[in-house]
Amino acid sequence: MAQCVQSVQELIPDSFVPCVAALCSDEAERLTRLNHLSFAELLKPFSRLTSEATTPWFESYRETFLQSMPASDHEFLNHYLACMLVASSSEAEPVEQFSKLSHEQHRIQHNSDYSYPKWFIPNTLKYYVLLHDVSAGDEQRAESIYEEMKQKYGTQGCYLLKINSRASNRASDEQIPDPWSQYLQKNSIQNQDSYEDGPCTITSNKNSDSNLLSLDGLDNEVKVDGLPNNFRAHPLQLDQPSDPSNSIDGTDHVKPASSLHETKKGNTGIIHGACLTLTDHDRIRQFIQEFTFRGLLPHIEKTIRQLNDQLMSRKGLSRSLFSATKKWFSGSKVPEKSINELKNTSGLLYPPEAPELQIRKMADLCFLVQHYDLAYSCYHTAKKDFLNDQAMLYAAGALEMAAVSAFLQPGAPRPYPAHYMDTAIQTYRDICKNMVLAERCVLLSAEILKSQSKYSEAAALLIRLTSEDSDLRSALLLEQAAHCFINMKSPMVRKYAFHMILAGHRFSKAGQKKHALRCYCQAMQVYKGKGWSLAEDHINFTIGRQSYTLRQLDNAVSAFRHILINESKQSAAQQGAFLREYLYVYKNVSQLSPDGPLPQLPLPYINSSATRVFFGHDRRPADGEKQAATHVSLDQEYDSESSQQWRELEEQVVAVVNKGIIPSNFHPTQYCLNSYSDNSRFPLAVVEEPITVEVAFRNPLKVPLLLTDLSLLWKFQPKAFSGKDNEEVKELVTSQSAMIGTEVISEFLINCEESKVARLKLFPHHIGELHILGVVYNLGTIQGSMTVDGIGALPGCHTGKYSLSMSVRGRQDLEIQGPRLNNTKEEKTSVKYGPDRRLDPIITEEMPLLEVFFIHFPTGLLCGEIRKAYVEFVNVSKCPLAGLKVVSKRPEFFTFGGNTAVLTPLSPSASENCSAYKTVVTDSTSMCTALVSSASSVDFGIGIESQPEVIPVPLPDSVLKPGASVQLPMWLRGPDEEGVHEINFLFYYESVKKQPKIRHRILRHTAVICTSRSLNVRATVCRSNSLEDEEGRGGNMLVFVDVENTNTSEAGVKEFHIVQISSSSKHWKLQKSVNLSENKDAKLASREKGKFCFKALRCKEKEAATQTSEKYTFADIIFGNEQIISSASPCADFFYRSLSSELKKTQAQLSVYAEKQSTEDAVRLIQKCNEVDLNIIVLWKAYVVEDNKQLILEGQHHVILRTVGKEAFSYPQKQDPPEMELLKFFRSENTTVSSRPSVEQLSNLIKTSLHYPESFNHPFHQKSLCLVPVTLLLSNCSKADVDVIVDLRHKTTSPEALEIHGSFTWLGQTQYKLQLKSQEIHSLQLKACFVHTGVYNLGTPRVFAKLSDQVTVFETSQQNSMPALIIINNV
Amino acid sequence: MSGSFYFIIVGHWLSTPPVFEMESLPAEKAESKDDHRHLNQFLAHAALDLVDKNMWLSNNMYLKPVDKFNVCFVSAFVTAGHMRFIMLHDIRQEDGIKNFFTDVYNLYIKFAMNPFYEPNSPI
Repeated sequence: MAQCVQSVQELIPDSFVPCVAALCSDEAERLTRLNHLSFAELLKPFSRLTSEATTPWFESYRETFLQSMPASDHEFLNHYLACMLVASSSEAEPVEQFSKLSHEQHRIQHNSDYSYPKWFIPNTLKYYVLLHDVSAGDEQRAESIYEEMKQKYGTQGCYLLKINSRASNRASDEQIPDPWSQYLQKNSIQNQDSYEDGPCTITSNKNSDSNLLSLDGLDNEVKVDGLPNNFRAHPLQLDQPSDPSNSIDGTDHVKPASSLHETKKGNTGIIHGACLTLTDHDRIRQFIQEFTFRGLLPHIEKTIRQLNDQLMSRKGLSRSLFSATKKWFSGSKVPEKSINELKNTSGLLYPPEAPELQIRKMADLCFLVQHYDLAYSCYHTAKKDFLNDQAMLYAAGALEMAAVSAFLQPGAPRPYPAHYMDTAIQTYRDICKNMVLAERCVLLSAEILKSQSKYSEAAALLIRLTSEDSDLRSALLLEQAAHCFINMKSPMVRKYAFHMILAGHRFSKAGQKKHALRCYCQAMQVYKGKGWSLAEDHINFTIGRQSYTLRQLDNAVSAFRHILINESKQSAAQQGAFLREYLYVYKNVSQLSPDGPLPQLPLPYINSSATRVFFGHDRRPADGEKQAATHVSLDQEYDSESSQQWRELEEQVVAVVNKGIIPSNFHPTQYCLNSYSDNSRFPLAVVEEPITVEVAFRNPLKVPLLLTDLSLLWKFQPKAFSGKDNEEVKELVTSQSAMIGTEVISEFLINCEESKVARLKLFPHHIGELHILGVVYNLGTIQGSMTVDGIGALPGCHTGKYSLSMSVRGRQDLEIQGPRLNNTKEEKTSVKYGPDRRLDPIITEEMPLLEVFFIHFPTGLLCGEIRKAYVEFVNVSKCPLAGLKVVSKRPEFFTFGGNTAVLTPLSPSASENCSAYKTVVTDSTSMCTALVSSASSVDFGIGIESQPEVIPVPLPDSVLKPGASVQLPMWLRGPDEEGVHEINFLFYYESVKKQPKIRHRILRHTAVICTSRSLNVRATVCRSNSLEDEEGRGGNMLVFVDVENTNTSEAGVKEFHIVQISSSSKHWKLQKSVNLSENKDAKLASREKGKFCFKALRCKEKEAATQTSEKYTFADIIFGNEQIISSASPCADFFYRSLSSELKKTQAQLSVYAEKQSTEDAVRLIQKCNEVDLNIIVLWKAYVVEDNKQLILEGQHHVILRTVGKEAFSYPQKQDPPEMELLKFFRSENTTVSSRPSVEQLSNLIKTSLHYPESFNHPFHQKSLCLVPVTLLLSNCSKADVDVIVDLRHKTTSPEALEIHGSFTWLGQTQYKLQLKSQEIHSLQLKACFVHTGVYNLGTPRVFAKLSDQVTVFETSQQNSMPALIIINNV
Repeated sequence: MSGSFYFIIVGHWLSTPPVFEMESLPAEKAESKDDHRHLNQFLAHAALDLVDKNMWLSNNMYLKPVDKFNVCFVSAFVTAGHMRFIMLHDIRQEDGIKNFFTDVYNLYIKFAMNPFYEPNSPI
């Protein structure tokens, strides 16, 4: 229980004081009224000390309650002991007036019409007071009247009180203490404050004119002890009859209404006692003292003596008194059995002057004068008597007072008899049905128990008294009980909270809103954050409601906010109710201060870090055949891999533009900022281009939320256009549409527990710095509790208008925390976050803006298929655009054509049913031989140094004017691998005018192509055995091309026709087709294979001489009647691109060996003669039936031949995934490539061929020896001089071998030593000598070769494998 | 048996949210009680003080009805780890409730053995 300032030992005597009535004459009343005080009030401050406490409302309630106890018949504590009769000296006949008053008093006391007030004993002490107004009245007269009074009533029975020493209207300089304000003010405030709806008797008492007064008696012992001025212990207290209608009508001249009015006025500013000086105060004090010592105390003493005498005279009674006293001291107890008897009998009522009551009267008097020992024994005796008589009410009263006086006995000779109190309470409540008395008893008992630290008992008592009939009382008691719980030795916090809640509930039922709110708030401290969400919600809700009714709107809002933002376990209906209440309160708040800043709304949740910002226009939807570049949009999910790819592409193109170096201040362009992007710099936005902010909302509630008029909130610092550097920072402008246009979403519905994003746009019209602060919207909910899960659910919502029940306008800020810093030591050891600037774009000057559209862009292709599409470039900005480039990781996929003249139709409409290739109609005769043309790779943008990935777009004037559009053809070639390909294009462009902030802009496009299998081409090249060709030159090659139709799945693809095979090489060209198939077009149906054989030649020297290293010779062998000019776009483009990408791959592999090769020249040279750089292009047509329409698709495949005899493929070989290598802990042995080249390589160094007649007829019968001339041709394939040794002797010496081979012998020189120059062909004339007919193998010569400048000799051994058979016939 | 029950498991720290919470109402009262769900929490929460006090006075895990509010009894069961099971019931049925507590205790132990379960976190 809240600590009271007053101790219980002070409280009880304070509560039970001798009562003195005061009867005033009209005139006396008038005098006191000058001070705005009644007579009773005038005396009050000089008889009482006020106190402050922690729960003052309860104390004052208790005080008022105890004081306003109606006087009852069974006890005499608040019966009037004395009566002051007050008259004024200014009256005409004051003495008459006194006797009139005296009669009046007598009439009130003894007339049966008045049940109130009650008088203690029949002959009440009358004390006559003459009031004298010093400033107005005649002092002489007063004195004479007083003398008269003294004579009449005795000096002890009358008093002259002089007041009003100064005029009330005179302004006083001296500070007069105002003792009334303390008392009266407090009372009246409390009246209005906490007792508005309290028991009406209290209110009316306080406001009605008081003309009766009770005076505290002075302790006899204290007086004897010589402390006569101890006024603190003798308070004078105000008391009145509880019912104004029963008040003494004769004296009550001031009408209740006017007095009420006056009291109120007094409260509001009237100075009490304005006519009183300090001397007057002293006089009043003296008067009180005089009255108590001279009048009241002697009277009480006398009464006690009388009563005692009466009792003593009644023998039995006195005996019982003494025996009871003795019993107590010997420690015996009151028999408990009496309690049971109490219950079944109704209370007996004594007549007022019954002798049984005399002892009680005496006890009360003793009690009043604080003679507790005697009081206790009297009460005890009385209790026993009453119990014997079954007078339950009286017994309970005696029990109660016995317990109290036992407690108050100085030195506490006996323990406090708590069971007395319990019995008394029970009796009052259950038998007498007198709740008021029970309550008084409980209040006293609880107070006493508390003073003994028996808090749990006190709490139990208090709780037991709560009942349905009085909410206010229950509330106060529960609150005190709660305080008891928390004051316990081990505080029961949760019990405290619970009872606080109960108290709050009762307070609110009693209409005490402030108290209810306070209770709930105090309980909240216990429940807060403990996870008891239902309880917490309830408290918050109540707090919200109470705060609202008390107009504490901010508190209400925050309480309601609490319910809504915590993950609520409440049902949907409940949440809906909470929300509506919240909105209602909020609306009131905002109406109160319409000009104030927008309130922060708690709902819906915003996931700030998920906010995305997009700069630029929305992507246009596909327009017929036109397909806009995908670019960047908010619909795309973030993918770190692809964003890394884009970044690399941009770096690549920027490096090319800046001559190979990426500028240090380069940052990749970011059009879409999200939580993954680098947001440490201020993003750049371009004026007149929209900024879209995607805000992620989440509705945590089970009711849908409707946001209306949703828009962004921003701050803008415009930058002046003028050339002055010092940018003038204008006043921060918010929502000024001239600078920044703001898009408003009129309705945005978030269903229950839904996460949804809203895209909000801003249109900057001015350069400067923009700060996006948050969102502003009207928060509302949908009328009705139904959930909107589909359009059908609400019939009326097709129009898009939800009926708004209520909405409030508010804002929510977007605050994004940057990434945690983790670079320096300081940052690592502390938690620091970097800035996130994604919402603070800088609006820069105009930049060109490119839009790219693709026309006829396919989605599916055959592998290697060539398709022509068109690209449209549109400059939608007001700035010219230049430096357009496109970069892609897959440059072999597309081409814009080379620098050669474009022959194919330029516009897409004209290109229908037209070949993508540049063709020339040829006559059929030339089909076998190749048509030769040449082209330089530089023309096709493939240089050695240049990055093939970066392709400049051939704009007509290299500048795109504002608003202009250009359509360019674009050829596509299906990638060689089947499957789905995502191909990224990055278009790069610049402004013509250099911008300091944005150097370039980019546009992204991702094309998705699905390829399906078409042809599979394998080719090999081998040396022709025939050394002489028509031109008499060596170095012929045979090229075998295997073509397989691998297309199986496509039902539509009927067959493939090989229409042309072309070669492209720096040194070689196809010469003619060797196999002359009957059908001109080589048709291949599904799963069919075909083989082609071609002869290839070295290009002529003079051709070769004119060729730069980049010049390629193209040779076309045609199977149809149209020549596709392979050296022109697009055929050559794709060839070069695939070549360069192939080169890149091989270079990467070769570079590993580069250094070794330099040291091993010999091997290199030998290897070189094995190499060939012949590239084959297979051009085909596919006949496809699609939608009952036959289509002809074209395509080309490339095979790159490098090594003689090695098969090469058109499609990339599947590489086995490298086996997982074991980790090696030692250095691997350097497996050096042996300095000896392989046999196979060597065998290619010198090429030999034997020329001889296949059969030779010889007449053996004429001549036994047959001589056959044989020519051995030696051809040096290498570029170096080679020493050759030819040994004709048989290598094999075994006789068996001789047997088998038959015997022949070489005649003449059998060993030659020659030197062959580069590419030289040398012929040796040999003679073979045969002796028998038969078949002989002439391939026996062994050829050894060595490079001239080398020492090592290598044997070429190829001839061993190839038998050269000759038939010798006999004729 | 009809009658409404409210069962809650509270961890032994003051600041942690309830571990488990469950209500069982007779079918006919289901709607009417909806507005007073917080009352159960209030009662259970207030009873904790008495549970904490009574558990040191008894050797048994099962504490007989520790508190009473109007028609509502509060029975409690405290595990060795000071997990407090609290049951609000409006009819006296000690054996049934004791058996229920024992069953729940078994289940709780099995649950708590789960290495991924963090003690005192909501189940």
